[in-house]
Amino acid sequence: MVLTELGARLSGALVKMSKSSKVDQDVVDACLKEICTALLQADVNVRLVKQLQTNVKMSLNLEDLQSGFNAQRILQKSVFQELTRLMDGGKPWVPKKGKQSVVMFVGLQGNGKTTTCTKYAYHYKRKGFKVAMVCADTFRAGAFDQLKQNATKARVPFFGSHTETDPVKIAEEGVERFRTEKVDIIIVDTSGRHKQESALFEEMRNISEVVQPNNVIYVMDGAMGQAAHDQALAFRDTVDVGSIIVTKMDGHAKGGGALSAVAATRSPVCFIGTGEHMDEFEPFEAESFVSRLLGLGDFKGLMNK
Amino acid sequence: LSQAIRFASGGTELDDQDIAPILETLKGRLMGKNVAEEIASKLCESIRTSLVGKKRAALSSINGIVEGAVEDALVRILTPKKQTDVLREAMRAKSDGRVYSIVFIGVNGVGKSTNLAKVAHWLMGHGLKVMLCACDTFRSGAVEQLRTHATRLGIPLFERGYEKDPSSVAREGLKHAAATGIDVVLVDTAGRMQDNEPLMRALAKLVHSNDPDLVLFVGEMLVGNDAVDQLTKFHQKLIDLCPVAKASKPRSVDAICLTKYDTVDDKVGAALSMVYVSGAPIVFVGTGQSYQDLRKLSVKNFVDQLMR
Ligand SMILES: Nc1nc2c(ncn2[C@@H]2O[C@H](COP(=O)(O)OP(=O)(O)OP(=O)(O)O)[C@@H](O)[C@H]2O)c(=O)[nH]1
Ligand SMILES: Nc1nc2c(ncn2[C@@H]2O[C@H](COP(=O)(O)OP(=O)(O)OP(=O)(O)O)[C@@H](O)[C@H]2O)c(=O)[nH]1
Ligand SMILES: [Mg+2]
Ligand SMILES: [Mg+2]
Repeated sequence: MVLTELGARLSGALVKMSKSSKVDQDVVDACLKEICTALLQADVNVRLVKQLQTNVKMSLNLEDLQSGFNAQRILQKSVFQELTRLMDGGKPWVPKKGKQSVVMFVGLQGNGKTTTCTKYAYHYKRKGFKVAMVCADTFRAGAFDQLKQNATKARVPFFGSHTETDPVKIAEEGVERFRTEKVDIIIVDTSGRHKQESALFEEMRNISEVVQPNNVIYVMDGAMGQAAHDQALAFRDTVDVGSIIVTKMDGHAKGGGALSAVAATRSPVCFIGTGEHMDEFEPFEAESFVSRLLGLGDFKGLMNK
Repeated sequence: LSQAIRFASGGTELDDQDIAPILETLKGRLMGKNVAEEIASKLCESIRTSLVGKKRAALSSINGIVEGAVEDALVRILTPKKQTDVLREAMRAKSDGRVYSIVFIGVNGVGKSTNLAKVAHWLMGHGLKVMLCACDTFRSGAVEQLRTHATRLGIPLFERGYEKDPSSVAREGLKHAAATGIDVVLVDTAGRMQDNEPLMRALAKLVHSNDPDLVLFVGEMLVGNDAVDQLTKFHQKLIDLCPVAKASKPRSVDAICLTKYDTVDDKVGAALSMVYVSGAPIVFVGTGQSYQDLRKLSVKNFVDQLMR
């Protein structure tokens, strides 16, 4: 992730502030505005940024901000806390050993579901779980081949069909098969879809009904812009989204759209994808995500001083 | 706009204090429509400089003047300076007896392969013989994905499986096309992040050693601020990483294919970001997942959606 330029920007504003001996409302406003610009450039929802600006402003007491350095710390801390709060979607669901679970992957077209299914399978396989993948995408050209080749590379059993056209049927059969084979985590990959096409959402609901997932994971592209909120909300309203995985975080985008997805689904991010290979997958850490969003690697250290 | 509309008698000059708050609101609205922050800022700044000091007509509202100026600027930005008519160029190549080729490039998952198939379908509808060339030799299922489309469309596919050098697959494909009477070759490439140096170098090699008629950047409407960085870097890296032998005539992004227009409602700002930074024309707009879902850009629609 390339966050250095953002870091430089921010510290520019903050340095200006720390140098001023008397902190007045104008200095605070200018500084806060610069932080908000950085957040807008990181794809945080425009409304969320406005709200954050208001909240932080209200939580600050000018009387307390005697010296510039003090003001800088209080402001940073306040922004950081507000963002961390926004990223907090509760405790993520985790599969338990000895208990069979079905995990269904959903999301927009091309956001990384199929790739992430394999990463997820591979992650838990290495932890000693018995995993398997079901390809319930009968729509996209080459979808089953993609999953098959991925699963073969990861040495994970898979189920799918080149001829069956009903994804609900495949999902049902695949999950049934792996249930009887005593697989711990049955991963169901689905087609990409978007809220504007209701038939696709209906199909997702039907798949969810037959596989009865223990967890539905919403996969979202870390480069997504302002459409993030409405799409995530629509998915949450149709199926029981329980976790989020943010992909393509190896790119240049900062991933601010994830805040919208967390807010809309009230679900936590559990992993991030950091590359095309199956081991490029990391557990999510809210505080370091927020630090990176702000371009401040040592934010936490600074706060604890 | 919530600001009170102010009227004035003719002859007064517009000053910064009048314009600034209106532009600030407009900027927020553009960002809400998914225009990148940097682009929204630059646009508003240029409107500000162009308006400050201007005399205004009698009974004109400041809001109206500013909005009109923004709208004009949007139309100007989105209207291509250089027309690119893919069909006509392909037809001309055919009558010259040579193969016309397009290379589809872009980051991961934006819709390169799907829209390549749509373009094939469209060109076929105009009587051209099209061949697909599978130069994504990396991503699982990429070759089969293209084969499925080729079979459905009833057209030939040129492929050499996985892990081959994409640049030489393209070369062989183009040679094969010329030998078999093909009119147009559509070259699929693997998605890649614009900061991934080795992959960008491989792309520069593919583009320069095959010298296609059109280098088509595929970008999705869902992308946020990264749109600016994607276009800037795909453009610049193709030039910077151009093999020495071709350094006198580097290639870069010629045109844009915008995808997933159907997934963003009226948040169409990514289109503006992409065109603003690259100056490249939008030649196709993807509006769905079927072969028919390919459109020409309607500048008016875009501007209406942005200003609404
Ligand atoms: N760089 C990078 N690429 C990724 C990552 N995750 C997925 N991709 C790539 O993104 C593209 C799309 O991924 P898929 O897994 O096919 O996406 P999908 O959501 O299954 O797509 P549909 O099934 O068509 O909706 C592929 O080129 C993947 O290799 C990531 O974390 N980093
Ligand atoms: N809704 C919608 N979906 C689209 C559009 N264009 C492509 N898609 C979908 O987006 C997903 C990814 O498309 P691909 O063509 O595989 O994307 P790609 O850029 O070739 O992906 P990689 O080769 O993995 O980088 C598929 O599910 C497509 O059906 C569009 O205009 N609208
Ligand atoms: Mg998929
Ligand atoms: Mg592709």
